Amino acid sequence: MDINFVGENLLPGKIGQFFIVFSFGAAILSCVSYYFAAQQQAERSWLKMGRAAFWLNVLSVIGIGSCLFYIIYNHLFEYHYAFAHSSKSLPTHYIISSFWEGQEGSFWLWMFWQSVLGAVLIFRSRSWESPVMAVVMLCQAVLGSMLIGVEIFGERVGSSPFILLRQAVEGPIFSDPNYLSMITDGRGLNPLLQNYWMVIHPPTLFLGFAAMIVPFAYAVAGLWQRRYKEWIGPGIPWALFAVMTLGAGIIMGSFWAYEALNFGGFWAWDPVENASIIPWLTLIAAVHVMIAYKNSGHSYFTATFLVMISFVLVIYASFLTRSGVLGETSVHSFTDLGLYWQLVAFNVIFLALMVYLLVRHKKYMPSHQKEEEVYSREFWLFIGALVLSVACVQIIATTSIPVFNAVFGTKVAPPVEPIQHYNKWQAGFAVVVALLSAFSQFMKYKRTDVRKFYAAAAASLIAAALITAAVVYLTKVYTNFMYILLVFAATYTIVANGKILGDAIRGKWKLTGSAVAHIGFGLLLIGALVAAATNEVISVNNSGYIAVAGFDQVEKPGENLFLTEGEPVQMGDYRITYVGDSIVPPNVYYKINYEKIDDETGRVTESFQLRPFAQNNPQMGGLIGTPDTRHYVTHDIYTLITAAMSDTQLQAQGGGGESGFEDYEEPAVYETNIGDTLRYRNGYIVVEGINRNATVQNIPRKEDDVIVGLKLKVHAATGETYEAEPVFLIRGGTTFDLFKDVTEQGLRFRFSNIMPQKDKLELMVYQKPVPEKRWVVFKAIKFPYINFFWCGAIVMTIGFFLSILRRNKEIKPGRAA
Amino acid sequence: MKRSSVVAIIVIAIAIAMIIVMYADSSTYSTFTEAKEKQTELYVVGVLNKNKELHYEPTKDANHFSFYMYDNDSTECRVVFRGAKPQDIERSEQIVLTGKMVGNEFHASKILMKCPSKYEQDEMEVIEASAARTVGLAVPATDNR
Repeated sequence: MDINFVGENLLPGKIGQFFIVFSFGAAILSCVSYYFAAQQQAERSWLKMGRAAFWLNVLSVIGIGSCLFYIIYNHLFEYHYAFAHSSKSLPTHYIISSFWEGQEGSFWLWMFWQSVLGAVLIFRSRSWESPVMAVVMLCQAVLGSMLIGVEIFGERVGSSPFILLRQAVEGPIFSDPNYLSMITDGRGLNPLLQNYWMVIHPPTLFLGFAAMIVPFAYAVAGLWQRRYKEWIGPGIPWALFAVMTLGAGIIMGSFWAYEALNFGGFWAWDPVENASIIPWLTLIAAVHVMIAYKNSGHSYFTATFLVMISFVLVIYASFLTRSGVLGETSVHSFTDLGLYWQLVAFNVIFLALMVYLLVRHKKYMPSHQKEEEVYSREFWLFIGALVLSVACVQIIATTSIPVFNAVFGTKVAPPVEPIQHYNKWQAGFAVVVALLSAFSQFMKYKRTDVRKFYAAAAASLIAAALITAAVVYLTKVYTNFMYILLVFAATYTIVANGKILGDAIRGKWKLTGSAVAHIGFGLLLIGALVAAATNEVISVNNSGYIAVAGFDQVEKPGENLFLTEGEPVQMGDYRITYVGDSIVPPNVYYKINYEKIDDETGRVTESFQLRPFAQNNPQMGGLIGTPDTRHYVTHDIYTLITAAMSDTQLQAQGGGGESGFEDYEEPAVYETNIGDTLRYRNGYIVVEGINRNATVQNIPRKEDDVIVGLKLKVHAATGETYEAEPVFLIRGGTTFDLFKDVTEQGLRFRFSNIMPQKDKLELMVYQKPVPEKRWVVFKAIKFPYINFFWCGAIVMTIGFFLSILRRNKEIKPGRAA
Repeated sequence: MKRSSVVAIIVIAIAIAMIIVMYADSSTYSTFTEAKEKQTELYVVGVLNKNKELHYEPTKDANHFSFYMYDNDSTECRVVFRGAKPQDIERSEQIVLTGKMVGNEFHASKILMKCPSKYEQDEMEVIEASAARTVGLAVPATDNR
């Protein structure tokens, strides 16, 4: 049955779909051309064709993005993507985040960055262009296939963002040609994602993921072209760039988790988080071994292997998060879009490429006859890389439990306490890595003067031990031996690298980047440890604690506190009062005052208000709270609403004004005249006058209509005044009336009759029953020294950036040309 | 043998040992009956009994929420959660609990819910309902009394 649907705007989707197919074709053409260009260096026409196809691909990728943005921005809800991820009330910056909320948008983001990087490579990579671009475009083609969304031999390939709502969802309303008029709004963006970090976190993260292909492509090119030693040089800055952007992206995600997620922390070892950190760790290891190889000629295979596996792990990460395989273990992963086997194929293609090249070229790889010295930097860089890899194996193994279950048909469940499980292992690895990054800095490549080494290492060690004692005492982490050890290792890193930084400032500028990055790493470790180890729930509920006897002995006291409006409660150092709400649809902000009171004088020494908010989006899973945080230099106070009264939430939906008459008490009926004053519970109402020219929205006035409004002014006891004008209407002998509400006062007015014979106006006043006192249930957590974590992350990123500058200068122009 | 190879072998050995230990840390998806026997922390998968009352009275105790759940063997059990009620539990299709059995009650420390997927039919009905919103037109007033 063909239906002519009304109001659909199909053009942008058709153009977008065309660009998708075109980008896929162009990517394949470019990949093949570059392949032959690399095989037959003399023949320039392949290279030209590869470039031309590349630019066509760039053009079409931009085309896809523009069409999709046009659809979302103009709220074309006939498209499923716009309907599922956005709504009319979203401000522009969140429209941008809704763009990449879905899988298709994030694939596009990946393709887009890959195009940008490709353009940089065309201009910068000189003799490496053909082989490197062949690999990049292979990946671009595979990514393009994810968006195609056509059926080939009964199998759907890819998932197009331009699919129409009526094609994606089945429903009776689609048999109506005018169905679009019934779809007034989209489902909206998940409230958790309505956070400014979500505007910049995904692009940064995906730039990092996309950048991982470049060192991979260089490694492939190096083996394929048998330029074994040469690729490491240009590979290092690219690997550093990928590490820097991916690291920054992960930290932004961590910021977002801390600010918006309600699991109360910056890192929860959620499989989705793990998936992004795994390739980051392996590439960090790779960078270190690459540098070791460059300076000593050792560990070539390890360097190449780590670079390549890092990108394969990026693909594995996208398989984990996008295939739905994580289903029961993570609430944050995507659901399967039917791309399961396509994602598996993506993994297999690049894994096979890696294995093939490594096996085939193993025997030609440069190796070093002489063994590494124990007192040499390259040896310890190698050990450090191995430790990082083992740490990675641990994360992969636990995160992959659902994958093992899928492969072997087992039903193993992940550890019951994932955070403790991971921390237990990773703390150990962190100690080793931190110690290594401290003392290795005193080593020299090839051979170190042992006496000098011990002198320098020991001096920093003593300094670090003293600082550790102070830090441990101040941050109160002395309860656990592992904590002390970790603080020590991290402090040692900071001190040792601080010394290197001092030298760097005095002239050995080359080492600045590495010293800064390692200092950042040390700070980050201390911040993470202290915040994770000593954060405490301060909203501990002691009231009602004994009420459920026999139960509390085994359980910890409740972490949620019940607050009634206007009734202060003492919570630790603070006296807290819930003072009311403010509604900014679709959010409800709950105002909670914190006051610190001096015990002796009874004076308020400090006071502030936190306004955590919550949004009720039934289509996204009910009430979702967003914490509000008070930041101090030494700690943060974090407040989250866990339950609240539902009627304020209803008002935020705009539904409060349209409640039925059953929500009100029996009305009072008054026969009034102009100038009368009527009492109600919270004040009085003045009948001010009659409006004979009243108009009613949606009902055009006909000639013989009588439409009269009654002007009322409500004076609340608290001093506010409100105006309302209920309307009485006679049309064709039948009388109607239109009520008006003053929601703030819980009043509803009906101008129900005009009685000319009595010279009276009939007014019905409905009042809502006395509202239950407002309450909220909330949770407050104190995070000490979290700023170390953020600081460390920023310092580390700066360090990476400095290293990129240095390593980029080191590529000898003559060799790279 | 080269020193680095020796180290590499040791490290690989540690990695393998670690994975074995990890599986000791892992848990199982079980049932209420099993939870009663084992008395340890574990996962129980099941569905909410929507016919019985979900009990949460923040005015009395903001940290006490209880409900009834059927596990995969259709055994029903009362579940007690020391915390606020997860908001959308009524809509859940599947619940994964972490916790252990205490007497005849299951004390959950964590509740993970699976909610209906995005491609749910009734979603369209919701939209229709909200689209039909009109001005507050009251019932026709009765004629002069």
